[in-house]
Amino acid sequence: MIKVNTSSFVPIYEQIKKEFKKELFRGDIKPNDPLPSIRDLATELLINPNTVARAYRELEMEGFIYTRKGKGCYVADDSTKHMIEERNSILSQSFDETIRDAKKYGLLPEEIKKLFGERLSVSQEVMEKGEDNE
Amino acid sequence: MSDILRAKNLYKSFGRKHVLNDFSMSLEEGKVYGLLGKNGEGKTTLIRMIMGIIPCDKGKIHYKESEIKFNHPLYKKEVGYIAEESIFFGWMTIRDLMAFNSSFYSKWNENRAKDLLDRFDLEGRLKIKTLSRGMKLKLGLIVALAAEPELLILDDPTSGMDVPTRHDFLKGIISEILEQGTSILFSSHMVHELEGIIDHLGILHDGKLILEDNFEKVKNNAKKVHLVFDGSVPDGIDIEGMLTKQTDGNKCDLGIYPWSEDVKKGLEALHPTKMDTESMTLEEIFIHFVS
Repeated sequence: MIKVNTSSFVPIYEQIKKEFKKELFRGDIKPNDPLPSIRDLATELLINPNTVARAYRELEMEGFIYTRKGKGCYVADDSTKHMIEERNSILSQSFDETIRDAKKYGLLPEEIKKLFGERLSVSQEVMEKGEDNE
Repeated sequence: MSDILRAKNLYKSFGRKHVLNDFSMSLEEGKVYGLLGKNGEGKTTLIRMIMGIIPCDKGKIHYKESEIKFNHPLYKKEVGYIAEESIFFGWMTIRDLMAFNSSFYSKWNENRAKDLLDRFDLEGRLKIKTLSRGMKLKLGLIVALAAEPELLILDDPTSGMDVPTRHDFLKGIISEILEQGTSILFSSHMVHELEGIIDHLGILHDGKLILEDNFEKVKNNAKKVHLVFDGSVPDGIDIEGMLTKQTDGNKCDLGIYPWSEDVKKGLEALHPTKMDTESMTLEEIFIHFVS
C-alpha cells in the first residue's frame, strides 16, 4: 500500500519512490510483481498522473523497475541488489562521518573498532530486552 | 511548450470596486494551473471574463493565438467550463440534456458521454430537477468532458460538496488528465484538493496575481523562519521577500518567499542566537501571502 501526504514538504514523486523502496525492502513486493497502474495509483491517491509517471520513470532509471510495453511496470530482477547498494551507500556515508569524528578525537582504528563493537552489543541487548517485554 | 491561455493586464471594476487591477497570468499547454484566492477576491469575475461571459474594462485575453473578446462563441466550443452552480433546465432528463448540448459542440463525443454517465452512475432517464447538487456537479463534468475540450476551466466546482462527491469529481479530473492531457485552470479556495494535482500555482489577492510559479518551486522556496535573539528583537527587520513578521519578546517568526542564500546571509547578519528554517505547506503559503 503506497501512501502519500500531499501536504508534506517532500515532493509527492519522492514520497512514492520512498514508499516503493520500503515495500521492496520489507519483502512486500518481489521481482516481476506488477506495480499499480498509473491510473489506479493516481485516482486512489487523488494526485496528478504525471506525478506518478515521474516517480515510475525515475525508479526505472535507477533500475528498480522495468516497463513492459502496453502492460505496465514491474519490479526488476535485480531491484533487491540495487536496494542493497543504495542502503550500503547511505550507511557508508554515516559510518564515514562517525569515523571522521572519531579521528578528530584522536582515536586509533583499533579503538574505533572496539567502541563500535561495544555499541553493537549494547543495541543488541536493548533489542533482546525489548522482545522479552513483549 | 506554448501557452494555451494568457491574460494580460486585465482591469475590471464594478462601480467603485476594483475587482481586477492589472491582472496577468499564463497557462502552459497540458498543465494544471491552480488559482487560489479568498472568496470575493475576483476569481469568478476573472473566469467569467476568460469565458467571454462578461467584458473586461481593459486588457487582453488570448486562447492559443486568438484574442478572446466578450461573447466569443467559437472559443466556447473548445473550452469546458464548470461553474460553482451549474444551471440546467430542471424539466429535462439527463438524456435530453446530452442531446441538447451535443448540438452546440463540434467535437461532442457520444460514446464518451455514455461512458462517463456509466462511470458516474447516472441514468439517462432521470429528470434533472430530481438530482442532488453532487449529481448535478458530476453531470456538469460529463457535459464538459464529452465535448472533448482542450482547456477545462473549473470555477470552485466542489465548493460545499461532501467528501465522497469531491473524491469522485477529482477522480474524473485525474482520468481526464491521463486520457486527454487536457490543460486545466482550477480555481478553488480549498487548498487540499489542489495540492496533489497542480503543476502551477497562482495566488490572486487585491486584484492582482501576487504569486505565480511552478508549484514545486514554490514549495521549495517558501520558508518559515524562527529567530531567537539575545535580548530584544532588532527594530525594523526588513528582509527581501518577507511576507509576514510576528514578534514576541526575544523571538521572531518570519514568512519568506523566495528563500535564497542572500536572504539567509541577511538574517545571519542580525546575529540571532538561534535560527530554524522550515518549509511551508500550501495552506501556510496561502495564509502568509494573503494576510
